[in-house]
Formats: sequence, C-alpha cells, structure tokens
Amino acid sequence: MTDTDKKIEGHAYDGIEELDNGLPSWWINGFYLTILFAGLYFGYYMLGSGPALVDEYNTSRETHEQAIATKKSARPVASEEQLAASLKDPGKVKLGASVYASKCIACHGDRGQGGIGPNLTDEYWIHGGNLTQIMKTVSEGVLDKGMPPWGAVLTADELPAVVAFVNSLIGTKPTAAKAPQGVRAKE
Amino acid sequence: MLHDEQKMETFSYDDAIVRKFVLATMVWAGVAFLVGLIAALQLADWRFNFNLPWLTFGRLRPLHTNAAIFAFGGNAIFAGMYYSTQRLLKTRMASDAMSRFHFWGWQAIIVSAALTLPFGITIGKEYAELEWPIALAINIVWVVFGVNFFKTIAQRRERHLYVAIWFYIATIITVALLHVVNTIQIPVSLWKSYPIYAGVQDALVQWWYGHNAVAFFLTTPFLGLMYYFLPKAADKPVYSYRLSIIHFWALVFIYIWAGPHHLLYTALPEWAQTLGMIFSIMLWAPSWGGMVNGLLTLRGAWHRVGKEPVLKFFVAGLTFYGMATLEGPLLAIKSVSSLAHYTDWIIAHVHGGTLGWNGFITFGMIYWLVPRLWKTKLYSESLANVHFWTGFTGIIIYMISMWSAGITQGLMWRAVDSTGRLMYPDFIETVLRIAPLYWVRAAGGALYLVSFLIMAYNITKTIASAPKNVKADVFQAPRLAPSSNQNLGDKPHRILEGLPIVFTVLTLLAVAVGTVIEFVPTLWATDYVNTGSSIKPYTGLQLHGRDLYVREGCYLCHSQMIRPILSETLRYGDYSRAEESMYDRPFQWGSKRTGPDLARVGGKYPDLWHFRHMMNPRDVVNGSLMPSYPWIFRDKIDFAVIPKKIAVMKFLGTPYNEQELALAEATARAEAQAVAASLSAQGATGKLEDKEIVALIAYLQRLGQDYKKGGVK
Ligand code: HEC
Ligand code: HEC
Repeated sequence: MTDTDKKIEGHAYDGIEELDNGLPSWWINGFYLTILFAGLYFGYYMLGSGPALVDEYNTSRETHEQAIATKKSARPVASEEQLAASLKDPGKVKLGASVYASKCIACHGDRGQGGIGPNLTDEYWIHGGNLTQIMKTVSEGVLDKGMPPWGAVLTADELPAVVAFVNSLIGTKPTAAKAPQGVRAKE
Repeated sequence: MLHDEQKMETFSYDDAIVRKFVLATMVWAGVAFLVGLIAALQLADWRFNFNLPWLTFGRLRPLHTNAAIFAFGGNAIFAGMYYSTQRLLKTRMASDAMSRFHFWGWQAIIVSAALTLPFGITIGKEYAELEWPIALAINIVWVVFGVNFFKTIAQRRERHLYVAIWFYIATIITVALLHVVNTIQIPVSLWKSYPIYAGVQDALVQWWYGHNAVAFFLTTPFLGLMYYFLPKAADKPVYSYRLSIIHFWALVFIYIWAGPHHLLYTALPEWAQTLGMIFSIMLWAPSWGGMVNGLLTLRGAWHRVGKEPVLKFFVAGLTFYGMATLEGPLLAIKSVSSLAHYTDWIIAHVHGGTLGWNGFITFGMIYWLVPRLWKTKLYSESLANVHFWTGFTGIIIYMISMWSAGITQGLMWRAVDSTGRLMYPDFIETVLRIAPLYWVRAAGGALYLVSFLIMAYNITKTIASAPKNVKADVFQAPRLAPSSNQNLGDKPHRILEGLPIVFTVLTLLAVAVGTVIEFVPTLWATDYVNTGSSIKPYTGLQLHGRDLYVREGCYLCHSQMIRPILSETLRYGDYSRAEESMYDRPFQWGSKRTGPDLARVGGKYPDLWHFRHMMNPRDVVNGSLMPSYPWIFRDKIDFAVIPKKIAVMKFLGTPYNEQELALAEATARAEAQAVAASLSAQGATGKLEDKEIVALIAYLQRLGQDYKKGGVK
C-alpha cells in the first residue's frame, strides 16, 4: 500500500486532521498470520489429537522414572562395610562436613547437638545407628516428623559422605546438647 | 431551524480540574516511585524491612502497585481525558461539580489505600487489594465520572467522535465492568471480607480483571491520550484513519480474552488456558497498530524529536509500548511461560510497560500541558532533556537486570542432571545467584526516581513563574442540529462515530463476548467443587492463619500452584489439582516466586522449624531474603472473630455444619493449645497459645496435606 497522504475532508478535531492512508501491508498480513496460527493451534490441541499439558507431563515423568530405575539397579545399595570404608577416607568426611554445614545445621545444630531435629552426637537413635540405617534415614527422611528426604537432593558422592560425617560426630559431647531420644545403640 | 443551527454559542473549558489532576499526578508519582524503590531495596537486603509490620515487603508491594497504577496512572489519564475530551467535543464538562467530586473522591480513595494497605487491610487479590468499603467507593466515583463523561458527549458541539474518545469510552465502561465483577465480596467486618468466588473460579475472575486492568487502565486510555497529544505536539495529521478503526476494534475485542495467559500450566481448565494463549498472540498486531499510527504520524517531524523533549518522550513511550506488546504475546506462549512465569522476567516486562509507556507518555503530556494550563513557558527545556536521558537509562538498567535475573533463575529451577536430580535443589541457591541483580535493579529504579525529581523541580519552577489569576479562554461554536443519517456521513463507521450510544453498546458487546465465553463454563461448572473428595475445609484456626498469610502478603513472594512440569514436581511434589483450592477465598496461587512454592509445604518441616523461620528466616536458611515477622509472635489471635469468618464461609457454600459453627471459638482455642504444646515440646519457649504465630503455623502445616492423604477423587 503506498501512502496517498490525502487529508480526509471533515475530519478535524481541535485542529487534529486524519489522513486517508491504508493499512501497512506488513501489519495487516502479520495480523492475518497470527489469526491463522491461533486457529491451527486451537484446532490441533483442542479439537484434534494434540497432547494435553498433563499428558506431556506424564510422558516426561515416565521417562524420568525409567531412567532412575535403571540407574538404581546399576548401583546396588551400599553395604555396612562399604560405608565403613568411607569413614576412613578423610576426603569423604570433609565433603560430608561441608554438606552438613549447608543442609543439616538448621535442624541438627552446628555441632550435631540437636535443635529442631535430634542430637546426632549421642548413642541414642530413633531410627537406628548402623551406618546403613543412618543412610536410610538420611536418604528417605522421616516425612511425618519433619526430617526431609535427601536421596534426590544430594549426589551419589555426597550421600555416603554426610553419613560418614554424622558418624564421626558420635561421642563428641558438644555443649548445650539436646537430651537423647530413641534407644541406645548396642556396642 | 436553519437559523437556529447556525447560532454561535460561547463557552469556556474547565481547565481548573485539569490543573488539579496534573498536580495530583505529580504528587502520587513521587510516592509510587519512592515506595517502589524501598520495595526493590527490601529484595536486595532484607534489613530494609526494618522489622516493622507496616513497612514489610508484603504490605508495601500492594501500596507500590496501587500508587503506580491507580494514583499516578489514574490521575494522569484523568488529566489528559478532561483536557482533551472538552476540546474534542467542543464543550465544557457537563458538570463541574461532578468533575470535582471525581477528583476529590479519587484522592480520598488513594489516601485510604495508603492508610489501610500498610496495616495489612487487604482483600489479597493483586491490583484489587482495597477492602470492600473502599472498593465500593471506587465503584461510586467511577460511575459519577462516567455519567459526567457521557453527559458531556450528549451536549457536544462536534458531530463525530474522534478516535481518542472511542478509547475513553472503552476505558470507562470496561473498567466499571471489571471492577464491579471482581470485587463482589461478603464482609466479615468493616475491614475484612471474602470474595464470592473460590479457587479456580476466583483465579479466572481475578486474572480476567488483572490482565484487563492493564488493558483498559494502562493501555486504552493512554492510547487515547496519545491520539490527542501526539498529533497536537507534532502538529501533524494522524497517519491513518483506517488503521485507527481496525486496531481499535481488534484491540477491544481481543484483549478481554487474554487473561488466562497468567494461568498457563495451572489447574485452570486447559481450554481456557489455550484461549488465553492464542488471543494473546492475536493481540500483537492490534497493539502495534497504535504504535505504528503514532510513529508514522511523526513523518516529517522527526528532525524535531531530537530537540523537543515532549516528542522525545512520546517516541520513546511508544517504542516501549511496542516492546512490551511484542514481549507480552511471546510470554503468553505456553513453553515460554513455563520458563518465565513466577520469575523476574515478568517484573521486567511490566516495568517496560509502566515506566516506559505509561510513565513517558505521561511525562511528555505534562511537559506539553503545564505551559498551556498555566499560560507560561517551560522553565527549562534542557532539564527536561536531562530528565529524559536519566529516566531512559534507569529503565534500561531496570529491564536488563530483571531479564537476566528472571531467565537465570528460571533456568536454574528447571536444571536436572543426567541422574535425574535437580541441579539446584536448594531454592536459596537460585536466590543468592540473582541477589546482586536486585541491587542493580534498585539502582535503575533510583535513577528513574531521580529523573522524576528533576522533572518535579522543573514543573514547580514553571508553575511558580506563571502569571496569577489566568482567565479562561472563551470559545465559540454553533450548537449541533439533531442528527439524521444524512448529516452523519456515508460510510458505516463514520455514521457510527456520530451515534455515541450505539458506539458504546457495541463496545460493551465487544468486551462481553470473550468474558461470557470464558466465564460461563468455568463459573457454572461443578467439577472444581467436589465436596465428596478428600479435600476438607480449613479448621477455624487454620482459616485465621490463612488470613494472616493474606494480611502479610506472603502470596506476593510465594505461589501455591505446582505446575505439571517435571522439574517442578521433583522440587515441590505432585502438581496441584483444581479441587485443592476449592475452599480458598481468595485463591492463593500467587504470581511470583521470590520464595519457593508452598502448596505442599505442610508436614515438610517440624513446627519448630517454622517457628524459628518466621522469627528470623536466616536462623534456619543462610542468606534468606524473606522478611522476619517478630510481631506475629507478639500479637494475639482474635478468637472472637473466628465464628464470624466460619459463618461467612458457610454462607458462601463451604460445608461447615451447625455444630462446627456453634463451637468455632472453643475449637479454635483448643487447636491453638495443641499447636502451642507441640512447639513447647520441641523446645520453643513463652506463652504461645494465644499468639498469631500458632495460627499461621497451623495453616502452613495444613497445606497440601489432604491431597497427600487421599488424592482428589
Ligand atoms: C527441617 C529440619 C531437618 C533438616 C534440615 C535435617 N533434619 Fe535430620 N532430622 C530432623 C528431625 C525432625 C528428625 C527426627 C525424626 C523423628 O523424630 O523420627 C531427624 C532425624 C535425623 C536422623 C535420625 C536420628 C535418629 O535418632 O534416628 C539423622 C541421621 C538425620 N536426621 C540426619 C540429617 C542429615 C544428615 C541432614 C542434612 C543432610 C539432616 N538430618 C537435615 C530434621 C531435620
Ligand atoms: C520478600 C519475599 C518473601 C515474603 C514476603 C515471604 N517469603 Fe517466605 N520465603 C522467601 C524466600 C526467598 C524463601 C526461601 C529461603 C527461606 O527458606 O527462607 C522463603 C521460604 C519460606 C518457607 C519455606 C519453604 C520451603 O519449602 O522451604 C516458608 C514456609 C515461608 N517462606 C513462609 C512464608 C510466609 C508464611 C510468609 C508471610 C508471612 C512469607 N513466607 C513471606 C521469601 C518471602
């Protein structure tokens, strides 16, 4: 559309006049294009076979769960001995300490003395004091008691490391420790 | 007859009212920008909350948005509308008294907003926070404004309505419709009410309102102003009358449908989401129609843009409008929304629109108006140029920082490593990463405020130099003969422009279509209110705690709507279902995640964790920027109001039985005792059973529990 720039007769409002130009063609064609897109989109997703958002989600969830399952079977649960071995690895304990400092302090105190969660330095355990038991508690959490599950949050390295660190706290007797909870671990 | 028709009438315009609105615009702009800057600083460093209830972020943000939109934006459009309407219709406003009522009524509403929002008196729906007595006052003032406006049209001396007037008509009737429908609520007391809609339905109505407040409060009236002030300032004819027609009707018809783009991936039925998305995409061209018509009107005047601050502001304002209305449809695409929603990208988007478009059009208009209204010259053109460049820089800094913050955080939220583990499982990590950008944003905002102060100085000086007692100009024009098809014109739209009532009815129809099609199936459907499911109403104490959550504006930082997106369900738990919020009045889905989603936070932490966290979030989460809430630990629960709340909820359809109502207060006290006892057992000290914190914890611990226990069906 070329502009004629002709003033329209009788169109004057407080001195403002209007020109007789047409619609810019890129503009009107762009408008038609969005309408076309809207129609096709609606047709495919609402009337046709397009997947609903929830369908798309379910697919991605299934793929995710399969991937996790194959990873799990490839990586057997650590045994008591394997975990005990990492206790002797100072690198592991150090990594565990840094995980503990960022994720656990809020509830178990900076020295494991307890607070919102129980004291981790005594010999009393609610959910058992074996390394595998601690691993299970940390990994799966105690949902209705407010201990979060860390299995999906920590990496495969971090998880045994923080267990090793927790184990290293036993017997440290920090000041202002919370009273023991649970049962005494067998020697 | 003929003789009569030609008889000249003498009249003058009411410019006193325009001067009043201009001054009010200036005053409230300062307030809105300052409060915005404080809120920005609060996100950069929590200490700017000062541990004071009335200064805390959750209460200040509504004050900022209301001041910016309704006080600054509102007074600006009224100033421009009163000035241009009288001239475009060649008549004085129908009633000076009504104009004054409008002015003082509006200022009184703003003042009452400033006196209630900081005290936590809020409905809790974004941009419609003002409690029911004020909401009612808004309706009344708006109707008076509308009556005055339409009576002015009735006594016009110009046969046809100019495009600016079309936009004003659309504004007046649609805003009335939006506000009335969205604020139907039942009072519990003078300063507390519950909306009649709940959950999904409340969400739909709220965002139909919220989105169209942007459309019909921040877009159509400003387009009207642009159509008057830009050709006036440039002294050029409007580029295309045809474009005006097409983009006006397309805009008015399409805009109203787009609300659900605020609710993509939520529990809103998907057909409504899809309508919201596709209509948003179709909105791009109609929006750009306004920009194009404005910019092309400046052909032949571009050499003046560099020199004249008024034109500079208009050009930049229109360009920001163009940017925002391209970005809007983009953000409304579902996959883009999945990244951008809940992040600071949206904050960047709205500030491009408000600071750039609304702000700059207003500033340009005021620089043009003030010398004319006060019959003097602008004190300093160069200061106006300085204003422009500082303000412009401020906007750019603001937008770039918030774009980066939003995209960075959105990508961090969704990052999943090869083992299927979230790469940033700790929400706070994603906050700390973008925290420096909150400082940059605050700097951008500060610059904009400074630029405005330069303007305030310039305008003050200008007005001070004005002659005292300016006399209003007197004009003459013949009165209109009664209309007949002949003298209206030969083209259909031209005829329509001479028939204001028909024009108004058609505009109303245009906005009614989308409204009805989206509302009827959603409001009448019972799928979202399945009282047989495992979702049960809140207990009295939880309900009270919920009101505290609303009072403190927690919903401005926290969503309660987990989207069906893998990274999201990994982080927060199963996605939210519509039924879960069926007893929520107002709904609490939220729109921004400065903090994590809370839909399933119930049971995630021990009571004591919340206790410590609310006292000072940094005691349990290093680096948290959430405010501390010490007053919740001091203030007592008003147990006596709980039965009234239950009664209103029951009246609205929540299935409480007579016994629950009769025993409401005693039950709530017993519940509070139980929570307090659990807190004490975990090690909290103090007399807690009558403190608000107990109610808040009861509410937080309930969130998501019913669904976890029993699913929805
Ligand atoms: C939100 C607070 C919270 C956080 C954070 C938290 N815990 Fe716990 N934790 C608890 C609570 C509460 C319990 C007690 C559960 C119970 O009573 O059954 C607990 C229990 C435990 C136990 C079992 C103690 C026992 O007596 O059997 C271990 C081990 C433990 N946590 C380790 C950790 C580690 C390691 C981390 C950091 C990765 C951590 N916790 C983070 C709250 C927390
Ligand atoms: C300025 C924004 C802001 C406001 C306002 C705010 N929060 Fe938060 N909130 C955050 C941030 C950021 C976090 C994440 C860090 C943390 O846990 O403190 C958070 C975390 C939380 C959490 C922990 C969620 C989880 O899953 O770990 C809860 C619960 C919470 N807030 C409740 C509230 C309540 C209740 C209010 C209102 C009284 C509120 N918040 C107001 C920003 C805010």
